Order: sequence, then C-alpha cells, then structure tokens
Amino acid sequence: MKKVKRPVRAGETRPSSVEEPIASNRARLAKDDTGLMGEHSQSIQSFIDLLKQHNLAELEFEREGFRIRLKRESAAGLPLAAKSDNMAGGVSPQTDSQAAAVSEQTNGMVTITSPIVGTFYRSPSPDADPYVEEGDVVKKGQVLCIVEAMKLMNEIESEVVGRVVKILAESTKPVEYGQPLFLIDPSPAS
Amino acid sequence: MFKKVLIANRGEIALRVIRACKELGIATVAIHSDVDANSLHVRLADEHVCVGPAEDGLSYRNIPNVLSAAEVTGAEAIHPGYGFLSENAHFAEVCESIGVKFIGPTSENIAALGDKARAREIMIRRNIPVLPGSPGELHSEGDALEAARKIGFPVIIKATAGGGGRGMRVVNKEDELVRAFQAAQTEAKSTFGNEAVYLERYFIEPRHIEVQVLADERGRTVYLGERDCSIQRRYQKLVEETPSPAVDEKLRREMGRVAVEAIKAVHYRNAGTVEFLLDKDQNFFFMEVNARIQVEHPITEMITGIDLIKEQIRIAAGMPLAFRQQDIKLTGHSFECRINAEDPEKFTPCPGMITRYRPPGGIGVRVDSVMESHSMVVPHYDSMIAKLITYGQNREESMARMRRALDEFVIEGIKTTIPLHRRIFVDSEFTKGRVSTTFLDRLLANHTS
Repeated sequence: MKKVKRPVRAGETRPSSVEEPIASNRARLAKDDTGLMGEHSQSIQSFIDLLKQHNLAELEFEREGFRIRLKRESAAGLPLAAKSDNMAGGVSPQTDSQAAAVSEQTNGMVTITSPIVGTFYRSPSPDADPYVEEGDVVKKGQVLCIVEAMKLMNEIESEVVGRVVKILAESTKPVEYGQPLFLIDPSPAS
Repeated sequence: MFKKVLIANRGEIALRVIRACKELGIATVAIHSDVDANSLHVRLADEHVCVGPAEDGLSYRNIPNVLSAAEVTGAEAIHPGYGFLSENAHFAEVCESIGVKFIGPTSENIAALGDKARAREIMIRRNIPVLPGSPGELHSEGDALEAARKIGFPVIIKATAGGGGRGMRVVNKEDELVRAFQAAQTEAKSTFGNEAVYLERYFIEPRHIEVQVLADERGRTVYLGERDCSIQRRYQKLVEETPSPAVDEKLRREMGRVAVEAIKAVHYRNAGTVEFLLDKDQNFFFMEVNARIQVEHPITEMITGIDLIKEQIRIAAGMPLAFRQQDIKLTGHSFECRINAEDPEKFTPCPGMITRYRPPGGIGVRVDSVMESHSMVVPHYDSMIAKLITYGQNREESMARMRRALDEFVIEGIKTTIPLHRRIFVDSEFTKGRVSTTFLDRLLANHTS
C-alpha cells in the first residue's frame, strides 16, 4: 500500500473519506439504505435547480448506492449527449468546473471495490486468461477477479449488468478494503 | 529485531507503538477503518491499509483482514495495542500459526488469564492472597447463596468473561442476592455472550492498585512499581498515579513480589498488569491480570525511565531483558488524566469536529493523542481522545503541573472531561492523597451544578 494521498498543509481539512463515492459490492454486508431519499432531498432540489439554471435536458448523479436521473421533456438548450461530459456550455467558469466535477465522479458508473484486504488477480491462475477485459459486457453475479487473502481465493462478483469500462487495480498487487477495482457502465445503451 | 511491524489498533496507542518502532528503526504498517483514513497514526506510518468500514467488528477486529494486511505488507509482527484484538487468544494463536509474531503474551497466557474465575483458581493454588470469592463459576442460585454466606456480605457479582468494569453488581443483603444473581447472568449473556458469573467480597473503601510486570521469553520477570487507579467512574478509570500515596516501600516490595509470582504461575511472557484491591488495613488481594499493555502505562514510564512499548517489542523479538529487578529505580511522581470526548457532567459521548486543539507543554508534561485542530472525533469508538501525563519530583509538583497543564489545554468544538479533571485536582481529599474507588462517584454526587 504505497501512500497515495496528496500532502495536506497544516490546518487544511482533508475531504472526509465518507464523502467519496464507494459503490457497494456483492460480497460486502448489505447496507441499510432506508431514509436515503430524505437524506438526499436537498441534493435533489439542487439538481433540479442545476437542470433549470443551465437549461439542461438531462442530469444524472450517483453516490453511495443512490442514483438519480432527471430528464426534462421539452428542454430548450443542450442536446442529450452533453449529460456525461461537459454539461456547461456557456456558463461561468466556476459552475463549469463544478458540473464537470460531478460528471467526472459519477457519470452513471458503478465502481466495484474490494470488500477485503488481499492480493488482486485478474486471472484464476497465472497461465489462464483474465476473467474480464475492458469492453467486456458482464452479467450480475459474474466473477470479475480474485482477491487472495491468506491463501484463500475470494471470487469478486459484479453487482450489476454492464460493460467493463476500466480496470482500476493492477494484477498481483495488494488491495485494501474499499479500493476501486472495476468501473462498470450499467446503462443499457453501452 | 523485526524489520516491519503492523499496528492492529487506532488512535493514541497506535501512534504510541509507531513512535517506538520508529525509534527502533522498524518500518510500520498502520491499519485503519475507512472513517479513520485521515488519522495522524495513518499519516505517520510508513504504509497503511484500510481494513474495513467504521464498525470495529468489520475492521479493527476483522481478523482475516488484519492478517491479510500483515501478509500483503510483509509485516513480521503485530502489536495489538489495548482493547480490540489484544486479549483475543484465538487471534494470538492464529498469528503464531502463520508465523507472524504477536507482540504480547502467548495465546495460552491470554486464555488462562481471560477467564477471570479460572485465573483466581490458579492464584489460590499458589497461595496468592485472593479476594474472598466463590470457587469458580456459580451455576445456580443455591451455589451463589452458599458462596455468599461463606464470603460474607456485601458481595459483588462479576461476569467471568467480563472486564473493563462491565457486568458487575453489588449485593448488600442476603435477600437481594437471588434477584441480583439472575439479572447478572442475563446481563453477562447479552454483553459477553457468556452467562457465567462468580462472586467476590465487596470492600467499602478500597483502592485499586495494579503492578506493572515484564517477562522475557526466558521467563525472567520484573515488576516496575505500582499504579493507583482508584479514581474511577462506574469502573472506568479517569485518573491514575504512581507511586500510590497508600503504598510504602515495604508494601511495594511485597506486592511486587506477589505480582511476579502470579504471572510466573502461568508462565507469562511480555508486558502485563496484575490488579489488586487494597483495603484500609493494607491487606491486598489479587483481582485479575490484564494480559496486555494498558492505557495508563505512560505514568510507569515517567517514573522508571523505561519505554514499555520498546520493551514489549524487544521481548517479542527474543531479546533478554536488559535490566534486573535491582536496576529498576522509581523516581519522582506521575499522574495521568484520561481526556474523553464526553459531557463532563452527564458523561454522554460528544463526537464532532475539534475546531481548535492546542495541547499543553513545558517541563514534565506529556500528551499522548492523535488529535489536531480540525480532527473529527467519530462516534464509533472509545471516547478517550487524549492522555495528559505529568511528572514531578514529588506528588505536589506533579499535581501542580497537572493543574497548569489542564489550564493550558485547548480543545474547542466538542465537550471534554477537562473541567472534571480540574475539579479533581483541586479537591481537598484528592490533594491529600486520601482516595478510594468510591471517591469520584461521591464527588459527582455532591456536585451541585
């Protein structure tokens, strides 16, 4: 586990790890997700405002197992394609980076994270083919990789149907709890 | 000597162990839950591994993840700190079986001493004075009544699998015993998963005196003075001091000798603490052994000049003790205050953001803590956020330093027990050294807010 954190100046607050999106994984204990709507009702209103403010047709957001997609019927303004990348188009630089930050973080993607500490392997054995490659479509419950801990091979399964967009960990390297392993695009059009 | 040690704990004790390792030239691996990712102990370690979410059963006590973290980082030894896995005999055993050295006693030591009733029996067989109590576990109300009559009221019912002051009940009269016995069993079952209870005589104004011991792997054993931990609220220690105002040199030598004998009885290794009860007539009785390093170990370090964590590491690495009993000199006096993130009157936990943190300093002041300005005190763990330790040439100087240090200590944004500590250190009975384990509960009851 090399240190990957950026240095923090004295007095500066490092963003709390609780705020980083951690998608749940099948092998982890189920989280109690009741009350999320209440928790996020303020966020939902902000998204609606964002949508209106920048005359967007669509906006999608995901965080900690909660995902919302807002679509306006007769939106004058930006085409659908703008939802993922640059939602800004003609807005102030500050809002531009904000919107970009949101889409960068989420984009409707699901991040599969490691539920345990161990060594990440892309293939069942050194000579075998990897379980998945970038671009593969995977089923829910499909084995994506192995994380080996104390000589026990733990198969990590996909929680969603989708396409493997990016493999985020390096084979034969150690991974920690919560470490991102795969980025999966669950949207049907992918 | 080890090249790399994993610290299976968090907060101030994790930092304590990391400091000792650094001084010994040992690489350190910090483990942490996801909410502790920004903790000081994580930042100061050479490597860090996230082992789970906030809930300690899934992270700090998650044996597979902790062991896996040792495996992937190549750590040769694990220091368990206190709490969490430190007295988990199964964990110590698994470490042994995979070739990772558990820095502490053996798994047999932990198993033998963790069962409080069994530990008492071992001591009785060695003629070590033990609190008058029931022989082993009590299985029925009938057994409890018979034992209580032999011991003499008042008695206290304790959970065999308990510790840390939990699962205890005082019974003053015979007609209260049966109801209390049943309630204690139920509570023990729900708190510790084991309903076994035993009985001891209950003393009215005792002192809690504990003796620090060290034993190397050849069995050479020493004691390092005693600590008086009588200032407790509901069996949770708040202030500790050494030497005890109630213990003279003769008594110290006698208690030390008995403490050494007690741990030799179980072939104990590494650091441990033998707890005694001292009555008003200077009779002392064995209560239990804490088979781990303790929270209050710093005060012993202050008066002996010995780094107990380094000694633990050295012993675990197979080195013999570098000193004999006669080399151990106790000089001066030391206090420790446990600063908790709690309401100083209601004792409700007060987690939250520390907006400003400035610890005291100057001669004879030591603070063990991972807190800083803008630290977040999370609700998931023990509420202790700092240990304030002072040292002086005598008790008066040590007390004066503690009063000064408590005045200097700035912790804003959350409530802490500092106001309570201030009150304790100006209390007339306390300043005269006249306390027992009932002191704090009485001080709190008398306080008019």
